[in-house]
Amino acid sequence: MTLYDILKESWISISGNKLRSFLTVLGIIIGVMAVVIMVAVGETVQKSITDQFSSLGTNTIVVRAGAARNRGVRTGNRQTLTITDTDQIKRLSDVMYITPAQMGTAQVIYGNKNWSTMLLGAYPDYLSIQDIEMEYGAPFDMNAVKNASAYAIIGPDTAYELGLPDNPVGEFIRIQHIPFVVVGVMKARGDSAFGSQDDMIIIPITTLKKRLQGSKFPDAVTMIALKIFPDANNNVVIEQITSLLRQRHRLKDGDEDDFQITDMKQIMETMDTVTGYLKLLLIAIAAVSLLVGSIGIMNMMLVSVAERTREIGVRKAIGAQERVIIIQFLSESVMISFIGSMIGLILGVGLSQGVGRFILDYNVPFSIWPVILSISVAVVVGLASGVMPAIKAAKLNPIDSLRYE
Amino acid sequence: MNKEIPIIVMNKICKSFPLAIGGIQQVLFDITFTINSGEFVAIMGPSGSGKSTCMNIVGALDSASSGTYELYGKDITMMTGDELAVVRNEYIGFIFQNFNLLPKRTIIDNVMLPLMYRGFVMEDRIRRAREMLRLVGLENFETYFPTQLSGGMKQRVAIARALSGEPKLILADEPTGSLDSKMGTEILRFFEKLNKDFGITIIMITHEFEIAQFAKRLIHIYDGRITYDGAIPKSETTLLKTEKRHKK
Repeated sequence: MTLYDILKESWISISGNKLRSFLTVLGIIIGVMAVVIMVAVGETVQKSITDQFSSLGTNTIVVRAGAARNRGVRTGNRQTLTITDTDQIKRLSDVMYITPAQMGTAQVIYGNKNWSTMLLGAYPDYLSIQDIEMEYGAPFDMNAVKNASAYAIIGPDTAYELGLPDNPVGEFIRIQHIPFVVVGVMKARGDSAFGSQDDMIIIPITTLKKRLQGSKFPDAVTMIALKIFPDANNNVVIEQITSLLRQRHRLKDGDEDDFQITDMKQIMETMDTVTGYLKLLLIAIAAVSLLVGSIGIMNMMLVSVAERTREIGVRKAIGAQERVIIIQFLSESVMISFIGSMIGLILGVGLSQGVGRFILDYNVPFSIWPVILSISVAVVVGLASGVMPAIKAAKLNPIDSLRYE
Repeated sequence: MNKEIPIIVMNKICKSFPLAIGGIQQVLFDITFTINSGEFVAIMGPSGSGKSTCMNIVGALDSASSGTYELYGKDITMMTGDELAVVRNEYIGFIFQNFNLLPKRTIIDNVMLPLMYRGFVMEDRIRRAREMLRLVGLENFETYFPTQLSGGMKQRVAIARALSGEPKLILADEPTGSLDSKMGTEILRFFEKLNKDFGITIIMITHEFEIAQFAKRLIHIYDGRITYDGAIPKSETTLLKTEKRHKK
């Protein structure tokens, strides 16, 4: 029996019951299409997040403050990082840009417009670390930090919401009733994974701490962000910062760090793992429909074996060996699965690419995975769902089969 | 060259089946006969006599519980299912009461089926199948489907299929059972022709004496035993007498 014979026999059997075969194939089409679309969704999310983080560069390091502790007991909410820590870290040779950072929200007024936005206290280096470019004006300098000047760099969305003129440099806005001079407007950057990057105001850290927050600990900050030189080693710098901060915070051997250091590389790896799990979850959900489709094939094949009992008897009587019967039924289930998988693949890729490009205006990444997956599914699902019916058919007694009504 | 080798040598074949309620039931007892090449034999017996079981063993569809069975010089008693499938394909052509054609295959596809399992290339299959269809007078129907043919034509297709593999033996199980008497006679005359003109060995299972009369030899089975083996008797009474003797 040649491959041509096997395929011909399978095709005749499948096409002999068109509606039933179509419905069975439909199950696989939906299953494979769902998996292919979910892979595309997962990869799009992963790519979008990775793109955003990688645009910041992998040489960015963030130090976050923990709470103050005494012999392992948390002694209050006081933040452990300080502006002085920042200045000390700045002395490390590999540090290119550094800034302390403290966030808050503030009610901002311009004329009769009132807008609530995110407020960030930082050094001007923050703009270099985040690759923020200016649309109008220029960033404040370190003198402004030293003097706790009321200077503000505003995001384009904030400027729009406040109804500021096109070039608002020199305009006064009120942040918590304190007048600030707008020294610059950032270029639009779009949304990030954490929300809009264009609706915020950056002011000197000292201004935030002393004039707006009136903190009891004006030196304390929640975060220090730094960018190291591209040829510097992240791990070496992290070790240096750790050692420096432990020394400065007078931590003894065995004491836990009262700060956390993460670099963008770690964050990207973590995000990659998280989005990887998300992708797996999506595929797993879609795979359920594929499983249902494969059960459909098995069901159809079992019905087919029952219906064709006499045919199997005739074939065995005229010389078909068990393996020939097995191959024939397996090839039928693989053919159904293959047809369904290929149609599902085409529809899945077409839909995900089409919706991405023409509706969402996003370039959905094309991956070879759905193709490999579909072919694997075709073979595995076809074989898995066909093996039991095929063995059942092969083991039929020719005498009983020939008598079957 | 193989003229001397008998087609079938059955020696003390017994067959028993396990019963659902436990124990076993023996249905064939010491069946012994030899069939030579070119014979036309009718195996006859009433319903439940064991003739179908005997046919299944002769046709290598079933194995005997004891005894030996040689088909064309080959002992097939202990063969596996797959080995028996090869034997059936090479040595036996089956003709069934209800034709057993594959309804979704064309006539020529049905005739080519044994050749496909034998591994013939497509050209040889088509050539041989066309020859056989010409032999049974259906050369113009090769692209038809079985449902488009009459009962007699279907049985002629079944004969063409049985002959396509050039078997040593044609085994026909009640070949006229689904046909009217005119068609039945036509088929039986065709068997006579195949046997006489082409020297094909035919074993025909039947429960009707009138049909058995077309054969040259009759083996009568009653209650699992052979009660008569010889030339076709002039009347069925001879066979009934053997049954009575057996009962006693």
